[in-house]
Amino acid sequence: METFINSRMTISEFIAAIFDKRETAGVAAMAKLPSGNKAAYTLFTDKKSAENSIPFFPAMPVNAAKAVSKFTRQASPSKEVAMFLRPCELRALTELVKIKQAGLDNLLLISFDCGGVFPFKEISISDEEKLKSYVDAFKNGKNCEGIRPVCAACTKFVPKENQADIVISLIGRKPHDPLVMSFPTEKGKNTAKALGIDLPDKTHTSPVAPSTAVESLFKEREEKEKKLKEKIKTGFADTGGLVSMFDRCISCHACSYVCPICYCKNCYFDSQTFEYFSESYFIRMGEKGALRLPVDRTLFHVGRLSHMGLSCVACGMCEDACPVNIPVSQIFKTIGSEAQAVFDYIPGKDLNEALPLLTYSESELETFED
Amino acid sequence: MDKGIWIDGPVNKGVMKFLKGLLENNAMDAVLMPGKNKTGDSNAWFFLDRDGLDESASPFPPVMTTQGAKMVSYLTKKNGSWKKTGVLLRPCELRAVIELAKLKQVDLTNLVLISYDCPGAFPLKEYLSGNQQELDMAFETSLGTQTDPEGLRNVCSICSNFTGSGADIEIGLIGADSKGFWLIPGTEQGEELLKKTEESNSFKSLESRDKLVEAKSVQRKEKRETTLDSFQQSVNGPENLMTVLSSCINCHNCSRVCPICFCRECYFDSRALNSGADEMLRRADRKQGLRLLPDLLLFHMGRMTHMSISCVSCGACEDACPADIPVSMLFTVAARDTRKIFDYEPGRDIDEALPYSVFNFEELKNFEAPYTRQYSKQ
Amino acid sequence: MTDNGYEPKIVAFLCNWCTFTAADLAGTSRIKYQPNIRIIKVMCSSRVDPVFILKALLDGADGVLIGGCAPGDCHYSKGNFYARRKVALAKTLAQNMGLDTDRIRLSWIPASEGPKFAGVVNEFTEKIKKIGANPAGQEVFI
Repeated sequence: METFINSRMTISEFIAAIFDKRETAGVAAMAKLPSGNKAAYTLFTDKKSAENSIPFFPAMPVNAAKAVSKFTRQASPSKEVAMFLRPCELRALTELVKIKQAGLDNLLLISFDCGGVFPFKEISISDEEKLKSYVDAFKNGKNCEGIRPVCAACTKFVPKENQADIVISLIGRKPHDPLVMSFPTEKGKNTAKALGIDLPDKTHTSPVAPSTAVESLFKEREEKEKKLKEKIKTGFADTGGLVSMFDRCISCHACSYVCPICYCKNCYFDSQTFEYFSESYFIRMGEKGALRLPVDRTLFHVGRLSHMGLSCVACGMCEDACPVNIPVSQIFKTIGSEAQAVFDYIPGKDLNEALPLLTYSESELETFED
Repeated sequence: MDKGIWIDGPVNKGVMKFLKGLLENNAMDAVLMPGKNKTGDSNAWFFLDRDGLDESASPFPPVMTTQGAKMVSYLTKKNGSWKKTGVLLRPCELRAVIELAKLKQVDLTNLVLISYDCPGAFPLKEYLSGNQQELDMAFETSLGTQTDPEGLRNVCSICSNFTGSGADIEIGLIGADSKGFWLIPGTEQGEELLKKTEESNSFKSLESRDKLVEAKSVQRKEKRETTLDSFQQSVNGPENLMTVLSSCINCHNCSRVCPICFCRECYFDSRALNSGADEMLRRADRKQGLRLLPDLLLFHMGRMTHMSISCVSCGACEDACPADIPVSMLFTVAARDTRKIFDYEPGRDIDEALPYSVFNFEELKNFEAPYTRQYSKQ
Repeated sequence: MTDNGYEPKIVAFLCNWCTFTAADLAGTSRIKYQPNIRIIKVMCSSRVDPVFILKALLDGADGVLIGGCAPGDCHYSKGNFYARRKVALAKTLAQNMGLDTDRIRLSWIPASEGPKFAGVVNEFTEKIKKIGANPAGQEVFI
């Protein structure tokens, strides 16, 4: 367990200090957009513009891991760039690094306790009341009303310490207080030194214990998670359940486009494999006398689950982007975790853990043979 | 045509009977048309033969879940339809089919295109979360009376191409006053097929309808111009445009549901727009901040250059936008002026070439800047 | 549909080196087995993407058989271990999404065992006959 220490800096002072004392080439975080009332994940290269950043703003217009992938896939930066990521984004990033879609060179990863986010459509910077109640709930270790269902049922809201270089502890604390942080990695510790934050071995800083609010939030969410999974599982009672779950789907594939794990440029389900000769439609209509179009609608979801379900971090982007309100993320979280359990795999836990389908042991899973 | 077959009675039933008749006397082998989904809370497309027709079809959906032209493209992209297939489309879907045929994404062989006087559609999201029974009722009434139902999509309420002209068979509803409908042949193929229907000799003059269509068209065109003018005002200039697009999450869903955007790999998803981290840092430096994912405005404006000339204003993009951006209005506005330049109407005529694929030697001179300096002075 | 007269359709993905050869051997040895399987030859059982299995089930196949070399005997030395993981994934997903996992069978059948191949096919066909037709086959809305 890393020790949390009081940095004596607010978030804006912290970002300014990164630029001043660490010779950072850039900082990426949620920030207010120059026009309109919305916030977006933005890359800044100077202290002045970075003043617009609001890293803890409770919306996820893009999974930041996808942004990191876009940023580093072709070439990593030649100087250090600090990036703020929520725990689920951090997990997604770990998975993306495993599938070689992102690099970690020269990145300073900063993560923080996550109170969940609102559906991006339902939150803007001017929603002061909502933001206030979010901060209040956060401080008391409770779920805020109106956050996304997957967020309300997420138990992995504290960033695992070996993934981020700097972890900011937020739950149970007041928003404008100086940040309480830990620095699990060497890179993080160096940053702390550069920023003039006294690490606990120096006698005059007393470590700050993690708050009890974390525990109460964990309990609430564990309960929610159980209920959510039950709800989805009863939904999939039989083949009929599968059909009705995705009955509204308009086959727009938005869920796969915004998914951080679904990185393929040409998705298998958009490929020529799923283009058929006209005769095939007549044959498939066959005995039934009817064929619903577009075809392979259900297969897309079931198949996508088989492609990325083992790496699904339940970030909720798919559900946010679904134009017809299918609880995609709740479904993928529930069924993905069942599949992950078979392989005893937790996505995003460890960079060195091999992806389940890329490894094997000789005696395992024998129950699946006949 | 100045005459059409008049069929008395409720539209829904009558159209189903007409389609069934064509399938039963083997004038057609299958039909592609809308129907309710399993739960009954939304709509889908169905490919049906005469056995499946009664169970799944409902010909006039109050929403557009997926654009019909896309379905026609799925069915005929690889090869023309195997057997004679009737397709029941909204007018905007019909226009998209014709544009896609020009783009070689639809093969019209063996297709019978049927369209109708469209009262518009409700926004998908509002239909899904609203009182569906009420909306269904409102839609059915307006189908008969051809008045605009409350809560129509913006693009639908300013649509001036609301009749199915151009189809093989047009279902005339305007002026029918809920008492029945006309079946109007639009092509020779349509005429042939209509001869095979039961009521093939109950012709009725279309004069009253034509007048009403003309009047509605004038009124809609006027409304279109004023609405688009004021919308253009509200999005004019980078500041306004960026405000409208500030909630965009760069998910490209508008392009995925667009019938015209047929490219399997979109240019804006391609490697052409990839760059290394250092290049992105330089861009961020120049602009005091770079939004990630980048190239949001480029995507929208670039897409406009790619497909706005063929945009049929069907509104599918707006329905599918998870951030509720008025994408369809934006594209309608963008297309308004470009079309004037080339005197092009998407979906008007299959033989009308796509503006980018042809040129005249003497044209568009006003876009050239003449060279004014004299060489001789040197 | 009941047992009498009901002939299930079973899609079989067989590895080129063992199970397909075993099927060949069964044929040349004139061993009779149920005619319900439709064989798709793959170079290795690990070629069978979980999507193949799910697609077959959703499009109405009554059963899916995946056949490969016995563990340790894979022509590519370890392909069948990967295949087992993939089948495990497909089965788990199918089970959690309301599809009947009894319709998926993974079996190791060495090249020299024609009778075993016939036995597996007969056994699986019997089982599928008992379970009955795949409801997804008649589902218009899928």
